[in-house]
Amino acid sequence: MAKYVIKRVIMALITILVVACVTFLLMMSVPGSPFNDEKITAQQMAQMDAKYGLDKPLLVQMANYMKGALHGDLGVSLKMQKDRPVLEIIAEKFPLSAKIGVIALIWAVVVGVPLGCLAAYNRGKWIDSLLRIISTLGISMPGFVVATFLLILFCNEDAPFSFLGIKTIFDESQGVRAYFMPCFALGLYPMCYIARLSRSSMLDALGQDYIKTARAKGLATPKIIFKHALRNGVIPVITYLGPLTAFTLCGGFVVETVFTIPGLGRYFVQSVQNRDYFLIMGTTIFLATLVIVMNLVVDILYKVVDPRIDLAKGD
Amino acid sequence: MAKKTKKPVFGSLQPDVDGMLDWNSLTPADFAPAGQEEKDDFIQERKSVSYWADAWRRLRKNTVAMVALGVIILLVLYAFVGPMLVPYGYDEFNAGAENLYPWHYSLEDQATYAEATAAVDPEEAIAQAKAEAEANGEAFTAVDEAILRAQIKTGSGAAQYEGMKESEIYEALGLKAKPFGYSTAELQRIENGESVFPHIFGTDRYGRDIMVRTMYATRVSMVIGLAAALIVLLIGAIYGSISGYCGGMVDTVMQRIVDVIYSLPDVLIILLIATAMSPHITQFITDNPNNGFASFLRTVGPNLIGMFIAFAMLYWVSMSRIIRGQILTLKKQEYVTAARALGASSGRIIKRHLLPNCIGQIVVTTCLQIPSAIFTESFMSFLGVGVLAPLTSLGSMCADALNGISSYPYRLIIPAIIISVMILAFNLFGDGLRDALDPRLKK
Repeated sequence: MAKYVIKRVIMALITILVVACVTFLLMMSVPGSPFNDEKITAQQMAQMDAKYGLDKPLLVQMANYMKGALHGDLGVSLKMQKDRPVLEIIAEKFPLSAKIGVIALIWAVVVGVPLGCLAAYNRGKWIDSLLRIISTLGISMPGFVVATFLLILFCNEDAPFSFLGIKTIFDESQGVRAYFMPCFALGLYPMCYIARLSRSSMLDALGQDYIKTARAKGLATPKIIFKHALRNGVIPVITYLGPLTAFTLCGGFVVETVFTIPGLGRYFVQSVQNRDYFLIMGTTIFLATLVIVMNLVVDILYKVVDPRIDLAKGD
Repeated sequence: MAKKTKKPVFGSLQPDVDGMLDWNSLTPADFAPAGQEEKDDFIQERKSVSYWADAWRRLRKNTVAMVALGVIILLVLYAFVGPMLVPYGYDEFNAGAENLYPWHYSLEDQATYAEATAAVDPEEAIAQAKAEAEANGEAFTAVDEAILRAQIKTGSGAAQYEGMKESEIYEALGLKAKPFGYSTAELQRIENGESVFPHIFGTDRYGRDIMVRTMYATRVSMVIGLAAALIVLLIGAIYGSISGYCGGMVDTVMQRIVDVIYSLPDVLIILLIATAMSPHITQFITDNPNNGFASFLRTVGPNLIGMFIAFAMLYWVSMSRIIRGQILTLKKQEYVTAARALGASSGRIIKRHLLPNCIGQIVVTTCLQIPSAIFTESFMSFLGVGVLAPLTSLGSMCADALNGISSYPYRLIIPAIIISVMILAFNLFGDGLRDALDPRLKK
């Protein structure tokens, strides 16, 4: 077990390093100076380059950046909020994004898994077909489609649900009402995906012999499903949590843009559009690290949950 | 020939051939060698069913997949044949036809509307009444003026319909909208006997026909989906088969690389690559204005090329994993050993023996890659880092429509529905294909 964990941690560290290097090289390879502005003279430009260390050789720059990153210094924003440390911006913007993301994740799992169980238990009946239609529709609608349809349904003047008074622009003081639309839009795809996933794994589990045994000894159906079958059925859902984190973070870009939420996702999109290189680099490294760590946790969790998997072998 | 009789012996194991053969009816012709025709008759009528015919038979039975295939074909026609039928260009500004709804009111109805809502200037009416009174030799008192003012105020269309939307006023007047959008100028041209093609889905704020734009956008999405799937197929198949076939150290190293790429958040990296690549490509285009390749890049747009590069770098991973897994089991089969014993090279074994045997998996994975690429492209275009103007995409059309969402929701709903239906159709067809090509996987 320890050997496996160490191996995985090393792999994760290498991955983060690769991401950091690739991000840095990609951003530095962009032609033209980040200070490209007609008003700035060549001399001023050289001064700016010197100030931010952009006049040094590329490898030295990279080494400096990595050293800084290890000490928690991801450089400063060059355009969006001039000279403000990137880490500070992330610390300010991320909590809101994380809050929305976590709520979306929770509702996706809490609703998706029981729906999958329901479909698997009623296999071939109308409820299974209905759930399959809903979940296939759900994974076919891009996040921005869901988000904008919600806007049309809830925020237009003559919208059917306009009486709820949800504002088009995210307003935290509205409480639950403010969080409803972004969390729903963000969680719909994962919810449907989880429902599909847990349906097929529950079907596998329900077909096993030990379920027949449980049934034969007269166990109540809810107990069979939730105590016996679900334990095995939920394992694929755990493996999906890693990619799901990535999806939620990136889906946040769109959802935050549509609902004008002042979170990290929207800010990242703006920094990409404004080509604020240090900010893009810093945010990318931060988000990628988050996803990689989540993948690592999920991988280890997976082996803990399912002891049948050979730990020593790795794969 | 004498009649041969045999007495049945009780308990004998010999079959009672008397009943089976009619010895008397045999003629010498029966002992002649069989002719070609007779030999042909012996061959069974049923042909052996090939892998694809078998899969097609199974697929045809799957109603959902067939409907999805029909929808895909319709969408292909919509995207590639449609623009030939509609006389508007995707980037053509139709002057005078800005902001049209996908419905219109006839010219008479518009005239009624204008009459009903026309504002009557009270001062003008009073002056007119005064002149009339003077001409008739009557006195025009202040009381008369006040009465007239009140009448104008209650009777005036502008006041009566104040605060109402255009569509509500039309409804109050009892006028019904007719389908398809026409501008007033276009309606007048129809009146004069010209035939004008309707703006079936209306127009946007520059007067561009939304239907044509969705056609081109669907085309862009489909091309991107197909191209991404082909890139993924090529790289994934080569990488996966080499990794699986070679095994050992090569496999370990190659799989570690796959692990690294697999744990990256793809959208983030695509965003990054597309952002970083597009200035390079733009520069390449400006540096080589006469190069054919550069002009190709210009039409496609730098962001899109960046996106393709990103697809090529990231999306092949799952394909390569699937193919590696298949090759690992297939390479232990006897026919591979036989091929090797006959001196076939590794490349030939992979190309001729191993890959054709996992074709089902390859086709299914490629097919399911298409909707996922369309999904990502629309996501990027929505964020403004995908397809660039003048070319359009369903994602960027939705993003454009977001500003006028309360007045012109159809501008958003139409592309949103098209993209959802397209992804849905590809997903359902891919699922059906998987069931048909590999029935063991069916759940």
